[in-house]
Amino acid sequence: MSWLLIALLAVPALTAALLWALPAGTGERVAAIVGSVISGLVLIGSGVLWWKLVRPDGPSVLTAGDLPRTLPGKVHGYAETDVSWIPSLDVRFHLGIDTISMPLIALTALLVFLCCLYSLRITPRAGRMRSLIALLLVIETGVIGTFSALDLVLFFLFFEVVLIPMWLVIDIWGDDHDRAGRRRAATTFVLMTVLGSALMLLGFLLVHRLTGSFDIEYLSSHPWRSSGGTGLKAALLIAVGLAVKMPLWPLHIWLPDAHAKAPTVGSVLLAGVLLKLGSYGMIRILLPVLPGDSATIAPYLGGLSTVAIIAGSLACLAQTDVKRLIAYSSVGHMGFIGLGIATMSPEGLTGALFANIAHGIITGLLFFLAGAIKDRHDTSDLRAIGRALYARLPRIGGLLTFACLASLGLPGLAGFWGEMLVLLGAYHPGNLLPRTTFLVFMVVAGIGTVLTAAYFLRLVRNLCQGDPAEYPAAAFAVDLSRIELIAWAPLIVLTVFLGLWPWFLLQYWTFL
Amino acid sequence: MTMTWTDWQAIAVPLVLALGAITVLLADALWRTGSKQVRHTVITLITGAAILFGLAFIAVQRNSVKPAFCRPAVEGPAQCSLVFEPLTVGLWAVLLIGGLGVVGLSAYRLLDVDIPVGEYHFLLLSALTGATVLAGARDLATVVIALEVVSLPSFAMVALRRDRRGSEGALKAFLVSVLSTAVMLFGISYLYGVTGSLYLQTIVTRLPAIDPDLRRVAFAAGLFVIVGFGFKIAAVPFHGWLPDTYAGAPVEVAAFLAVVSKSAGVGGLLVLVTFGVAPSGSSLRTVVCILAALTMTVGNLAALRQAEAVRLLAWSSIGQVGFLLAPLAVGDAQAAVGYLAAYVVVTLGAFGAVAVVQRHRPAGLLTDYRGMVRSEPGLGVALVFFLVVLAGLPPGLAGLFTKFAAFQAVLDAHIGWLAAVMAVNVMIGLAVYLRWIAELFRLPADDPFSVDIENPAVAVISTCAGAAVVLSILPSTLFALVT
Repeated sequence: MSWLLIALLAVPALTAALLWALPAGTGERVAAIVGSVISGLVLIGSGVLWWKLVRPDGPSVLTAGDLPRTLPGKVHGYAETDVSWIPSLDVRFHLGIDTISMPLIALTALLVFLCCLYSLRITPRAGRMRSLIALLLVIETGVIGTFSALDLVLFFLFFEVVLIPMWLVIDIWGDDHDRAGRRRAATTFVLMTVLGSALMLLGFLLVHRLTGSFDIEYLSSHPWRSSGGTGLKAALLIAVGLAVKMPLWPLHIWLPDAHAKAPTVGSVLLAGVLLKLGSYGMIRILLPVLPGDSATIAPYLGGLSTVAIIAGSLACLAQTDVKRLIAYSSVGHMGFIGLGIATMSPEGLTGALFANIAHGIITGLLFFLAGAIKDRHDTSDLRAIGRALYARLPRIGGLLTFACLASLGLPGLAGFWGEMLVLLGAYHPGNLLPRTTFLVFMVVAGIGTVLTAAYFLRLVRNLCQGDPAEYPAAAFAVDLSRIELIAWAPLIVLTVFLGLWPWFLLQYWTFL
Repeated sequence: MTMTWTDWQAIAVPLVLALGAITVLLADALWRTGSKQVRHTVITLITGAAILFGLAFIAVQRNSVKPAFCRPAVEGPAQCSLVFEPLTVGLWAVLLIGGLGVVGLSAYRLLDVDIPVGEYHFLLLSALTGATVLAGARDLATVVIALEVVSLPSFAMVALRRDRRGSEGALKAFLVSVLSTAVMLFGISYLYGVTGSLYLQTIVTRLPAIDPDLRRVAFAAGLFVIVGFGFKIAAVPFHGWLPDTYAGAPVEVAAFLAVVSKSAGVGGLLVLVTFGVAPSGSSLRTVVCILAALTMTVGNLAALRQAEAVRLLAWSSIGQVGFLLAPLAVGDAQAAVGYLAAYVVVTLGAFGAVAVVQRHRPAGLLTDYRGMVRSEPGLGVALVFFLVVLAGLPPGLAGLFTKFAAFQAVLDAHIGWLAAVMAVNVMIGLAVYLRWIAELFRLPADDPFSVDIENPAVAVISTCAGAAVVLSILPSTLFALVT
């Protein structure tokens, strides 16, 4: 039993329950403070857990050469809790972390903390802060639970925990101007994800039929090696379920609306952590448990990912709404992550894991900035916002340029390393994969990076630059406020830090 | 034929229920002094005591097997008409808990004043008698008689309020039921003709060995029996009567129909499929699979379009039964009974909540529930929880794991297409309940719903919510009902 990990799961959920139990008046007033304190504690807890995992005399696998390069995604569990839960269904309550999941847990804790901090001052127009903060905390439990579940059914369960809270966040606090639109966006999001996760569950059940176990730790050391037949069906079902969440083209259709209509904190969490549930699931479950069948579907996965990179970038070039643009850019970036996973090579997987974290940080920052711009102009339409942000909101304009550059993969910032490693992985795909195909993917994805640069630079040009005389500053448009600076500073610092010292994370994944 | 001690034990529960039924009828008819409240309370207590006896009996005897009314067979073991065994225990537990919940929902001040109390409880206990016998029945004659004993009181209950909608609903249900009994008897007569026996146990041993020329007759006969049950449990395409009947009946009676009557039908079908007409490998099981797929899809799709709470619950109960038919079709009694148990608990709770709201807002529209999570937090949160369990999403783990077991049963039987249909229906079902949950979470309207809820209603709804929470934390209890 590891009480620390269980506390990371239980504390946010219990705090949410406590907030709802408070009388409405008090609850509204203290919600953001309680949320910040508790999510801050969770962040500290996850930091402690991380340290315990990687400390020099600790249990983790740190340096290359200590272990042979084993299966990608194999669990080297730490802080495990493993108790029988539903014996008749062979379901265990099995939690644990390793160096693949720990950074994602920390990222989740960080982003939820920043969202709560941000909500101290900046609140959506719908109010009801008590419920909003409580739902954010429930989402935190669900996401951290998904990242630490070592039982397929438990993974599925935590995967689903997130759905209804996120649906409520989009539906209640979403875009004020478009009631029907936000409801439709929320419902599309929840229904597509539920269908995907139901299919994923079918895949898990097929895995259980083949191997007789739901335990990820057991399965990753006793994988189903043969390919074809039921195993292939299982791999396809799991891949489709996770691809909806990730989302992989053409299953991404829920994403632009959901991200664009969600309130700022909702968009940040959706893009920053929820999408990672899909990519994490592929690395944690699909590759290690069904290696043979994963190799069968990997070229298709890589192909669709490459299409996602190009399609996402082209869609971005056509967007006139800043939030939708960033949402579509996520499709492209998640395409890179998908391609990295599909290469099944150490470089590709490491790149995918790194890009996961980098995308969470950078896109989190981008959505914060987009939210700030939207709040100041009461619209996210680029044409209505006008140009010359450098003149009107110099600090926010500068930060937006910084985040765009990070997102397009400028060397020296966090976005660069993941995509570079993914391309490198596509150059040396896993042994079982057709190399020529992946070389083509690499070239096409390379063109995608150019397109990414094009649309981000276009965004900067259309939004930040321009003649200030033509676009006078609105009276209420104040520049960067203190709370925004505090909430965003960690993301900015991390973007630079991971860009300059990627080894900080990469060192944990040398065993892949 | 003399009755042995085992026979008496096996029918103790139905017998006590029947005696209770007569007692409440007589008590109400003969005892005219005393206030209405006292009479109502006494009748509720007698009814509750009869049901509690049943629950206590199965709690004590849950591990025993009591074949009753047996006679030696020509070949093989003795043929029995009623068997008390673990499956019976599971079904009886579900039926009796459902019955008890309905009694709680029909306490004084909750039940409509126009409804005669004695008759109501008499009919309820009679139906429960039939339902318990049906769940233990192991020969076709007993099955038919027990099914009629469940059905006839149900129509009377629908019509008890004696208004136009009630009469219309009762008449619809009655006509459909008569038709379905006729169809079923037709099938049973053929089945008897083919196998020469009414005992399920004998039928199941003789069916594989019958003359190949008679195979098709046997298939048709089994089909007719299943279709007969299809009418009773409102499986699509035999579901047309259900929504109007639910909407026409008082809410308590609708709860009774959705919980007790439906569970009885499902229990009977489960017994028939697993023990009798459709042994493993029979093509009749495919028929049940198709019924399941149709029922869940049509039920959920129609539920999407409903604007009234009771009609939404009516259609979604069709969808739920479709889901339930899936493990039933592959003969997985454990998954089916577990699903039924979770369904019964939360359906009772949901109908309890609807009854509270409908007493104050008779229109019963979904929009009447707007903002209830804030204006009436206890009831609102409980209702949200019931709906989430029905949808099968966290935190409603009772619903999630029973759906999970259903998936597992279907996949283990290698019926991939049905599993895919079920996956799609998880999505449609969620869409159905989300519409309602969205109303509950909206900001309260100008005139938010906030009332003093009657104590018995509070008790029943919170018991259901408590039970649903416990079942969500320990889902294995659901699957321990049938061991």
